[in-house]
Amino acid sequence: MNECTDIEIREMLPDLLHRTLDAGTRKRVEEHVASCEECTEDLEVLRAVKAAAVFAPTIDVNRVVGRIAPYARITPAVEAPSRSRVVSWLVAASFLVVLAGGGSLLVVQQKDSPGGYAPARPPQTIIVVPAPINQPAKQPTTNVTTPGSTGTHALALASGVETLSDNALRQLMSDMNSFDALPASEPEPVMNVDNGDTSDQGTR
Amino acid sequence: MTPGSEIRPEETDMELIRRWKAGDGRAATRLVGRHSQALARFAASIGEREGVEELVQDTFVRAFASLDSFRGESSFRTWLFSIERRLMLDRRRAERRSRETVPVEESDKVSEYGALDLLIADEAQERVRRSLEALSPTQREVFTLRVQQGMSYREIAEIVGSTEGAARVHYHNAIQRVKEFLSDE
Repeated sequence: MNECTDIEIREMLPDLLHRTLDAGTRKRVEEHVASCEECTEDLEVLRAVKAAAVFAPTIDVNRVVGRIAPYARITPAVEAPSRSRVVSWLVAASFLVVLAGGGSLLVVQQKDSPGGYAPARPPQTIIVVPAPINQPAKQPTTNVTTPGSTGTHALALASGVETLSDNALRQLMSDMNSFDALPASEPEPVMNVDNGDTSDQGTR
Repeated sequence: MTPGSEIRPEETDMELIRRWKAGDGRAATRLVGRHSQALARFAASIGEREGVEELVQDTFVRAFASLDSFRGESSFRTWLFSIERRLMLDRRRAERRSRETVPVEESDKVSEYGALDLLIADEAQERVRRSLEALSPTQREVFTLRVQQGMSYREIAEIVGSTEGAARVHYHNAIQRVKEFLSDE
């Protein structure tokens, strides 16, 4: 049997079966089928497939309609806060917590300085330097610089701690317990502190 | 158009939907009567053995409950078929899950084939049914929608969530496989 290459006609065979073609197209398809062995065979198969589908249970229309609820127009519900809005609020709240923590740390540092609160003292800049990826796990380094002040590599809060006696350290710890401005969460561990002994040094 | 006025036989689905929304319950009867048997045939032809009537009922209940979301971009018939198809897929998933936990009993198999006997009238139709079962699920859907329901490739693509071109390819592959199956038997 020669294979029919008229794809358009072959695709229209189900339409011929369902009598959905206009008169002109139907005549053209019928003429083709009359002279094409493959399309004749296809049409026979399609008839058999169509006939095999007639045995379906009869649907009780009234029973189906009885289950359909009367029409009720859908009114738009009050818009619930979107997920993205909630996430935005969470991000903003987290940012505020971080700011409050940083501010508390500054207050503690200033309190610890010999002159107590020193309004004229320039603010410190805290830079966190992440450890290189390919090195062994290491704590991130934090530089605390105070432009214009003399600097040694020590945390301002713990400046000169290594020279204190045990009793002085205990006193210091006890004093620290009385601070009421400490952040609720522990600050990041500080590895390296630059007190800004180079006056022109800004941030790294 | 008022709920009390007569429904003309040639009224379109969209006109009937408008009537139903206006409170004319007869419009729902006309719509169900117009499409229910086609939905039942489609379900039966793609292997739904039991609960075809319940499936058709559920299709209409769901369709009428969400008529406000039907914008008329496709025909109402196409929309109904796509709802029925989704319900069938949900059912099959649920059946697969229950089969994984509950072993199939002999009585289940008997009732399954008993229902099948009602659908298949004679040996020739049994052969055709087996040939359709040899098709992939998508091929079978496309082929039965095209051949048994007389739907266009565009309508089929909307129902099965595919493209017109893909529907054509599925149709050609399906008819080749059916012919091969029937000539081998």
